[in-house]
Parts: sequence; C-alpha cells; structure tokens
Amino acid sequence: MSASEQVIQLEKTDPKFVEEIIEYGSKIFGREHMETITACFQCGTCSGSCPSGRRTAYRTRLVMRKALLGLKDEVLSSEELWYCTTCYTCYERCPRGVRTTDIIRVIRNIAAKSGRMKEQHKRVARLLIRFGHAVPITDEFKEIRKALGLSELPPTVHSYPEALDEVRKLIKIMKFDQMVGYQESG
Amino acid sequence: MDSDKIGVFICHCGSNIAGVIDIKRVLNEIARAPNVFVMDHTYLCSKEGLNELKRKIAEEKLSKVVIAACSPRLHERLFRRAAEEAGLNPFLVEFVNIREQCSWPHMYSPTAATNKAIALIKMGIEKARLLTPIQRRYARAKKRVLVIGGGVAGITAALSLASLGIEVYLVEKQPTLGGHMAMLDKLFPTLDCSICILAPLMSEVSEHPMIKVLTLSEVTSIKGRPGDFEVEILKRPRYVNEEKCVGCIEICSKTCPVEVPNEFDMGLRPRKAIYLPFPQAVPLLAVIDPDHCIGCRNCEDACERDAIDFNQTPERIRIHVGAIIVATGYETFDARLKSEYGYGRYPDVITSLELERLLSPSGPTRGRVVRLSNGKEPRRIVFIQCVGSRDESVGNPYCSRICCTASIKEAICIKERIPDAEVFILFQDIRTYGKGYEEFLLKAMRDFGIKIIRGRASSVTANENGDDLIVRAENTLTGEIMEINADLVVLSVGLVPPSDTEDLARMLGISQSSDGFLLERHPKLAPSETMIQGIYIAGTIQGPKDIQDTVAHSKSAALDAANFVLHEKIELDPYVPTYNPDLCKRCRLCEEACDWGALTFDKEKGVIINSSACLGCGACVAACPTGALDMPYFTNQQIIAQIHATLENKCEFPLIVAFLCNWCGYAAADFAGTTKIQYPTNIRPIRVMCTARVSPLMILEAFKAGADGVLVVGCHPQDCHYRTGFSKAERRISALKKYLENVGINPRRLKIASTSASEGERFANIVREFVEELKKLGPIGSELVMKSAG
Repeated sequence: MSASEQVIQLEKTDPKFVEEIIEYGSKIFGREHMETITACFQCGTCSGSCPSGRRTAYRTRLVMRKALLGLKDEVLSSEELWYCTTCYTCYERCPRGVRTTDIIRVIRNIAAKSGRMKEQHKRVARLLIRFGHAVPITDEFKEIRKALGLSELPPTVHSYPEALDEVRKLIKIMKFDQMVGYQESG
Repeated sequence: MDSDKIGVFICHCGSNIAGVIDIKRVLNEIARAPNVFVMDHTYLCSKEGLNELKRKIAEEKLSKVVIAACSPRLHERLFRRAAEEAGLNPFLVEFVNIREQCSWPHMYSPTAATNKAIALIKMGIEKARLLTPIQRRYARAKKRVLVIGGGVAGITAALSLASLGIEVYLVEKQPTLGGHMAMLDKLFPTLDCSICILAPLMSEVSEHPMIKVLTLSEVTSIKGRPGDFEVEILKRPRYVNEEKCVGCIEICSKTCPVEVPNEFDMGLRPRKAIYLPFPQAVPLLAVIDPDHCIGCRNCEDACERDAIDFNQTPERIRIHVGAIIVATGYETFDARLKSEYGYGRYPDVITSLELERLLSPSGPTRGRVVRLSNGKEPRRIVFIQCVGSRDESVGNPYCSRICCTASIKEAICIKERIPDAEVFILFQDIRTYGKGYEEFLLKAMRDFGIKIIRGRASSVTANENGDDLIVRAENTLTGEIMEINADLVVLSVGLVPPSDTEDLARMLGISQSSDGFLLERHPKLAPSETMIQGIYIAGTIQGPKDIQDTVAHSKSAALDAANFVLHEKIELDPYVPTYNPDLCKRCRLCEEACDWGALTFDKEKGVIINSSACLGCGACVAACPTGALDMPYFTNQQIIAQIHATLENKCEFPLIVAFLCNWCGYAAADFAGTTKIQYPTNIRPIRVMCTARVSPLMILEAFKAGADGVLVVGCHPQDCHYRTGFSKAERRISALKKYLENVGINPRRLKIASTSASEGERFANIVREFVEELKKLGPIGSELVMKSAG
C-alpha cells in the first residue's frame, strides 16, 4: 500500500454521495427522514447497541461517517454493509434521531443497483422469486402446522400459486431477477 | 400635515442588510416619494451614525423620522433618544425592520427582498406622516424586590440587592435555603467543600436586616405592573414556633415513630416526620411534614421549649414589589426514562446526585462510597455521560454543560477514598470549557489514573449471577465494542427545568425557550433580563450553568433589578388610549373588553380612562365601533395607511398583510431572522402591541385594498402578555370568517395563529403554509369571478 492510500484524499471522495442517499431514500421514506443522517455526531450508541456488531466488524457509526465523508466506493463495496439484521435497536436509541436502519437499507439499495449485492443476499432473493418466500416452508414446518391444527400450507403464495405468478411478474418488471442472477430454470 | 418632511434613514448594518438588499435601488425608489429626505448609512447605530441622524434632522428640518434598520426590539430606545436629542418628540419616529424580517429570512432572494424592503419602508413613511407627539409615561418603582428560589442563585441575588440598601423578600418552597448546592460534596475545579462555602451565605441572608426569608412558601399570584407588582405568597405551616425552636432536633425527632426517605439525601436514608433537612439548614428549625405526621403528638410532649404548634395554619402574605428575580433553579433528568441504562431496575445504577450524597461527609454513609445492593465498596465504577442531555430521543437536545466536569470531580473524589478502584468515564465529548477545568481533567487522568473512553454507553445489563453490571459501548476511537464489568454505574444526569416552570412563566407573563428554561431578553447582551421590564432571571432557570456562572448571572440579575427599582422614575409604555366623547355612542363595549378595569363609564363624561391601570393592549380600541377610542402610535388611521401603502403596488402574489403582536408574533419573526430561518417574502408585517388591537375594520380594509390573505400572529393563549388578548382576537376572527363567507370571500384567506417568542421555525412554517394555501386559492377575488361565472 502506498503512502497516499493511507490518507483520505478529498479528490477521491464523492461529496454528493450523501445527497444521493437522501434523494434515493426520499422516495421511500420522505426527505426529512433521510436528512437525519446529517445530524450524526458519532457517539457510537448505534454500534454499541448492535447485535451484529458484537460478532462482526460491522460498525453502524462508521457507515454513517464514511457516507458523510463521501467515501462512496468504500461504503458500497464493504462486506459489512450486509451484516445489519435490521433489528432497529440503533434507530430507537439514536440520541440525534438519525433513522439509521432505514438509511442502511437505502445504502444497500444503491449498492445492489450498482451490482454490489452480497452473494448470500442474492441467494435469498432467488429463493423469494422461486418460492415467493425468502424462507420457504419445509416438511418439518408442515408437520408443526398440522400438529397445531393449522392448514399444512400458510395462506400465502404457498397456497395460491397464481399469486406467485404475479409476484414474479412484478419482480421481472423491476428487473430484480437480473439483479440477483435468477434464471428461469432455477 | 403638508408641511411635514419625513426623513428616511436606511442602515446597511455592514453587509447584514446591504449584502442582500440592493440599497441603491431602495434609495432611488424611496426618493420618489413626496416630501421625503432619504439617506443611507453603514452603521446607523454607531456614534457617528447617530450624530449624522441628529444633524440631518436639524439641517433638513425633518418633522418625522423613519428608521429602516434592525428590529425595533433591539435599538428602539436608542433611536428615539437620538431624535429627542435633536429636538423631535421621540414618538415621531417609526421603525421599519429590514434586517430580522427582511434581509435575514430572505438571504437567497435578493430581488424579492429588495422589493419587500421598499414596500416596508413605504408603509413606514405613510404611517410616519400620521404620527403625533406622545408624552413619555413614568412611574415610580417600589424599592423592594422579590426573589423566587433560595438556592445559590437566589441567595447571591438577595445579598447583592440588600447590600445596595434594597429590601428583599426571598421566597423558598423547601423548609430550608440552600437548593442543590447544599446537597453537593465538593466543587470543581478546586475540590473545596460545597456546604462550607454556602452555609455562611445562607446565614448571612437569614440575618440580614434588609432580607426577609420566607421558607415553605410559594408565590401564588402576581398582578400589577413593572415597578409595582402585587404578589401573593402562600406560606405553609411549619407546625413549629419559629421563635421558640432552637433546632436541637434530637429530642423531638427521637420520639417520632414515623420514618420516611429523606428527600435531601435522595431517599438514601430515612428521616422522621419532624426533622431538620440537614445539619446546616437555614433557618435552623425543625419542621413537621404534614403528609406523613400521624398526629401522635409525642414531639409536643418531648420538646422542652414548647415549640411544637399544631395550630398553625397556611398564611397568605401580600406584598408590593418593584421587581422580581426568578431563581428557581433546575431538576435533574429522570434517569428512568433511559430504560436501557437500568436505573430503578438495578440498585447499583445510581445518579450523580445520589453519588454526591454518598460522597458527602454528612450524607447517609458519612462519605463512604458503597454499592446500594450489598453495602460493599465498589472496585470498578463506570460513569455514563450525557444521560438526558444531547438526546433527542428524550426531547432534550441541549448540552447540560456541568456534567462532564462534575463527573471528573466525582471520579477524583472516589479515587481519593478508594485509591485502587478503577474508574471509567464513558463520554461523548468532554466539555471542560471553564477556567481551570481542562487542567482539572488532566489532573484526573494523570494523577488519579481515571480512564476516559469516547463512546456513548448503549446499555447496562446485569451479568448471569446478577452481581455485576455490564456496560456496553463502542469505543469510537478504536472502533471496538467494549463490555465493561462494573460494580457501580453512575448516570451523569442532565439538567431540566423545574416541572412547575410553565405555570410560573404563565403567572409572570414571560416566555420559555424551546428547551423549557426561561427565555432571556437577549442571549448575549441581556442574559438576565426577560421580555418584561422589572422581571429578571438568575441562574439555571435560564439554562444549565455551573456555580461560577450561576453566581455571575445572579449578580447581573441583581444589578438589573437594582437599576430598575433605584431609578427615580421608570418609563412605561406610553400607549394609553385617547377618547373622543363626540364620537362615542355609549355602547360600553370597551368596558367589557378591558381585563384590567382601566375603563369606567360615567353617564356625564362617557368613558374614563385610568392610565395607571392601563397596560396598552388596545383591546378596547378594537372593540370600539365608532372610533371614539384610538391608540396613539397604533391609530386606526396609521394602520390603514400602512395597509394601503403596501397594496398600492402589489409586487408579488400572494400578498399577505400580517398583524404581529409585539411580544410573540413579532418576536418569533425576529427570532426566525436572527437564526436565518428562510421563509417566503410574501408577508408585510404590521406590528401591534397585542392581536386584540386588530379590529375587523383593518382586516376588511386589507381585503378591500387587494390583500390575498391576512395573517394574525399572537402569543399562545396561555402566554398572552395581556392574559386574554389572543383569545379575544381568536373570537373576533372566527366571527369575521363567517362574515367573509357571507360576502363571498373565502374565509381561508384570513388566518390566526400563535407562536412563542422563541418559535422561529414555527413562525416560518405558518408563513410557508399560508403562502401555499393562498397559491391554491388564487388572487383575491378569484372566488367571486368563479361564482359569477358558475
């Protein structure tokens, strides 16, 4: 690693990255919600509260920091971005009202759009397209449902295959299948 | 008067005004008005600027003056005095606010801001043409001051006033003076003993011939006016004869069978129903707590001096004072609201104030620091900072300022007692800004080995055995998640305003800032004054402060109050209605409109105005259907001239005529400007003392002249400076809306709203929303066109 790689060079950052995140998320959560990212004062309540951060190198605080600094490439290509379990503890505790979890989700969307979705997530997404569920039902669960006096299949696409067709249609329109590398055969 | 010559003085305020508004264009535009002399100046408020103003008044033989500069709330007195010195009546000066209400809130729309400035100045000129001289009004102030709150702030203020020969009533809710400072062990950054420096002041106050101390007392009502407030105080019974009791306490309290937690020790040890709050209490008298006394009268039998008196009853004391100082201090943040820290769930999670009591040699443990769960000495202690401060999740966005240095001090005190204990401070930003504080932090780290870690604690949980606490936080400087096993956790709780502050503010007619503390008149230049003359604030009731700042602030409040009551005469608002009996139809609506009994009716003479009872709101004037009553400086004619001046040349759509009350609406607009909150340029503010002054006639006149909307902004009903002024305005406006509907004008074009003086953002939102709404409605008259077409 050369010396210059150890230094954050502002020329290599993208000062518009935060605005990009806010803009992208505004369509989903509204602008005010997304703009809370600019209020982050790096206290670490989020990382300290994070169940994933206890086991992995994922640091919510750092994602916010890097996004604010415009380290676009680093944020979008980081493996850790995909470690958030979306439990919303940080969101609830943030003393600045930063809508952390939603912001992380938006950043993931941007990463996915640019083809940087983590392979494991793609695999789950392919399950969704195939079965209409990220976690499809198994024989074991069928048995449990029966034992509980429920129908073997839940009243979802599992019971209504025609609804699954509609889900797939939507996914195709949105080109989500291409994004996650889904092929008809399977 | 045709011979009138109006002098218009336009201030650049450096680039504050001139950086946005095109002064040249304004000068050209204004010069075209008839009988006007116009000039500009870089800083009109400077000595040189004022001299220029005076010189021009003489040279140009000006009969009226228009000052287009900052808000009149800032320099009104200054400019009036200058005009007076130049030989003009001071009320022949009109103010046009082109800074707070023009250049600052419209920083990014210079063209529209310039147009607005021109319109505002024209309004000012037309009003100025109609100004008539008004006599200044004076009153004598009572040379007596009420100080509310007997903590270090109130004590300091009382002593400062008394030393100037001013009589003081010091009112304290608790049975003793001392406040929070009496509960503290040592003080930063000198580590001197708190009660040791406070107790002598407490005694001095109680023995001072000019100070009357009233403990167990609360102010229940305040009437009257600056210089002569009529105050009612409720003194609760002590049930102990103050003359006979010598405070020996042991004899009586020993026989008392009741035990309740002692509030002074944060409930960490019991007291009896007859007790002395703490050994240095002033007055040094026993007190019986009527909520817990069971009436066994053992104490009565035990007291050798016959001091117990169960026949005492609450006493109502009425006094007249010239000025009031509010020094009611603070409360600490309720740590239970941060449930993730486990306060109230784990006995070894305590607050900083509880720790102070443990550290105090007169406290429940005589100065030993122990775990509340097992009474043992803790080995590892973690301080969590910013509990209830800088935290929007609990609605307290502000920094409490004292907690950083207080925790450093408490950490040192622990290390002095338990040298091998490990002490951590989990901080977010260490703010040791005071004199000697940074050195104090250095001492804590270097000499005592106190470890400071940057990261806000995210949770406190118990370990599996339940005997240890686990504090989790990210060490934000290394990016590592830390779990610290601790046997004592201290929550460094922030400061919040006392829970009764809203009631007190309402009683006094003063405002709270958005954080709930009391609002000062100017954050830099008038930190102890309020918007109301004669009412001052001292210490933490204005905002979190350490003792150093509290003392300085209290002395400044005392100086302000002294200055006010020691003056031979004080100037009152000169606005008292005028009466023309020839126009009066004897309907007596004015009498009903006055809350102050300032108007009486005489069959012969008609309306009689008692000017000393009049507060100048103008509600009576607005109620007068014939114009028999009028308000100097805010006459019907003058206001209507302002309305016509701005609508003569409608330069934008929608155009809104806005009546803003002096105390809240206008102040909030100023505040929006000062904080550079941006909102549309479409409003043309007209200042009135109270929204109750706005008569239906003015509103109708505005619509008739082409206003697309009329906005009336006053105080929140509970904050109204004239008590019911805003409510009166609301009633009038809702009646008027029905009328508008009948004549075919959409009633949504008339809007009334309230703000407090500190709600700049709220004010801006009111304007933004109204502008949007009017855009949808279209220009005035659209509804009539549609009606006739449809």
